[in-house]
Amino acid sequence: MSTTPTSTATAAVRPRNSLLTYLVRFQSLLGLVLVVSAGIMFSPRRHGHILFLAPDNVANIIRSISETGILSLGMTFVIIAAGIDLSVGAVLGLCSVLTATLLVNEGWGLWSTLSLVVATGVIFGAIQGAISTKFRIQAFIVTLAGLQVARGLSLIASNNSFININYGTGPGNAPPAFGILGERIGGVFPVATLVFLVLAVVAAFLLNNTRYGRYVVAVGGNEKAARLSGIPVSAIKISVYALTGFVAAIAGIVHAGQFSFGSPNDGAGYELTAIAAVVIGGTDLFGGAGSMIGTIAGAVMLGALANILQLNDVSAAMQLLATGAIIVVAAALQTYVVGRGVSAR
Amino acid sequence: MKVVLQTTLLVASAALASGAWAAGKPLAKECGPNNDYVIGFSQANFKEPYREHVNHELERLVKNYPKFKLVIADGQATVNTQVSQVENFMTQHVDLLMISPFEAAPLTPSVSAAYKAGVPVIELDRKTSGDNYTAFVGGDNRAIAKEAGEWAAKTLLPDGGEAAILEGLPSSSPAIERLEGFKAGIASNPKIKLVAVQPVDWMEDQAVTVFSAMLQAHPDIKLVYTSNDLAAAGAYIAAKQAGKADQVKIIGTDGLPGPSGGIRAVADGQWAATFTYPTGAAQALELAKKILIDCATEVPRNILVPTQRIDQANAKSLYGKEKF
Repeated sequence: MSTTPTSTATAAVRPRNSLLTYLVRFQSLLGLVLVVSAGIMFSPRRHGHILFLAPDNVANIIRSISETGILSLGMTFVIIAAGIDLSVGAVLGLCSVLTATLLVNEGWGLWSTLSLVVATGVIFGAIQGAISTKFRIQAFIVTLAGLQVARGLSLIASNNSFININYGTGPGNAPPAFGILGERIGGVFPVATLVFLVLAVVAAFLLNNTRYGRYVVAVGGNEKAARLSGIPVSAIKISVYALTGFVAAIAGIVHAGQFSFGSPNDGAGYELTAIAAVVIGGTDLFGGAGSMIGTIAGAVMLGALANILQLNDVSAAMQLLATGAIIVVAAALQTYVVGRGVSAR
Repeated sequence: MKVVLQTTLLVASAALASGAWAAGKPLAKECGPNNDYVIGFSQANFKEPYREHVNHELERLVKNYPKFKLVIADGQATVNTQVSQVENFMTQHVDLLMISPFEAAPLTPSVSAAYKAGVPVIELDRKTSGDNYTAFVGGDNRAIAKEAGEWAAKTLLPDGGEAAILEGLPSSSPAIERLEGFKAGIASNPKIKLVAVQPVDWMEDQAVTVFSAMLQAHPDIKLVYTSNDLAAAGAYIAAKQAGKADQVKIIGTDGLPGPSGGIRAVADGQWAATFTYPTGAAQALELAKKILIDCATEVPRNILVPTQRIDQANAKSLYGKEKF
């Protein structure tokens, strides 16, 4: 597979706009529609109302996926660039701890704290990208190491403890404005989801409508060709890891604000949920092709699925089985349809 | 005159009614012996044997209450997931919420929201911050560990010696409290020297690795305190591998039942003792009955369930009596 060049090429050789290809391209949107329909069908009802569609419940779903959703936006860029980032969950934990300790223990102001935390995430990501690029070490290995380093750093930053964030004035308190991340607009729409939404729009624009986005796709599709056509391949590759570091930092800040809490153990396994959302969204794990809208739909779908299973008291074991099955089906659909495109060449 | 009298009576009876309302309002919005009730229990995670034990106890005991349906959700050791579950229980309109929060502060807003919406909240084992819950049922980690320390200082090592601690997951509150409690307890005997403290994250395999290394570095360790039964099991394996199973006295925490639990390990003489961390399942369900079926207007806010020391004196008979 890795020797057959490029999905940009694949896209060109995939002219047969069969219905199947079309459906698979938007498989996660389709999946989302299916899950939502199933949700409506199987939803428990109360006084004739479908609980699944109750505004509070919809708000709960989109709140529950806000952090992993934010992570999956950056993950989409990395995977399109034919990389992977396993460190995002740990960096989220590190950034939540940093936010909490700077605001509460060090008495920093809001903006200086947020700037330092975001800078930490970006630099952490960029260093991983640089190591992977300069020393030609697989991103899997580098970010696996990064995961350990980030967890270690967060234990140091938190002094082996969790940090509660209290709001107020004076030492030991965070500025009350920071608590807004845990609020709901109009009592319904979660602010954490608003952050995800804004970033999603920016990410979709960046991927689809800018030169940078096209460069990322080109680098992931065929690195050599991209280099020959004058694209700064190394810089692009480093930048996508800086991007995942950035989203991990934002997610960490949202985590700290949403739960008034920084814990060095938090965010464990989030990287896998983010990767799952990207895969379900139809982004090719070999790079070179992907869809931001697909990722977003994939993330929402996972949240809606977990919600409807929980509302029906389906056991935790069955929830894991269902999620696993959906990931496999999504990947299989991709390979089946994209695979036909490759063999047709 | 008549009008005045009537008005006075009316005002007086209204005042009386509102007074009664303030003092005597049932804790649950809907209660009484004839309804069926759904109790949602949000468990921090299903991974730790202690939490499984709590679930089993609740499921076993809830059968004594035919009006109750118990739904248990797995928080998967993630605050985000557990918050979602509390929210989902609210969507489902459960009649009573039970919760063992994975961490206190992050779960507080959603639990408070449930409580303020009129759903009675019973917190098991761990509290949220603030006052927005109906009642708490649990043990006192610090007191239990301190009792273990004092008992060890007096009974196991009266002449002193080297001791070690295998901590739980650093940064989790029970791990911190048990560590501090035990340290305070053994301080009652100044001849005991604490030579090593390491976290093993509640895990048996980690405990084997860590305690093996400790025995290499400190071959004279005579006592090891572990923050849970799993770690104690790991410590025993390490001591046995080092040929020091007789030299090292092991103390566990939790006192889990069953063939792989701590009670049996003490009965078999592998450990010196284990200190139960009570599940509080019976007490919590009894509270739920008072609130939902008896329409209680008031219940005790804190129910501290005491620990029980399981040592050579009682382990065998306790293990024999188990119903599992």
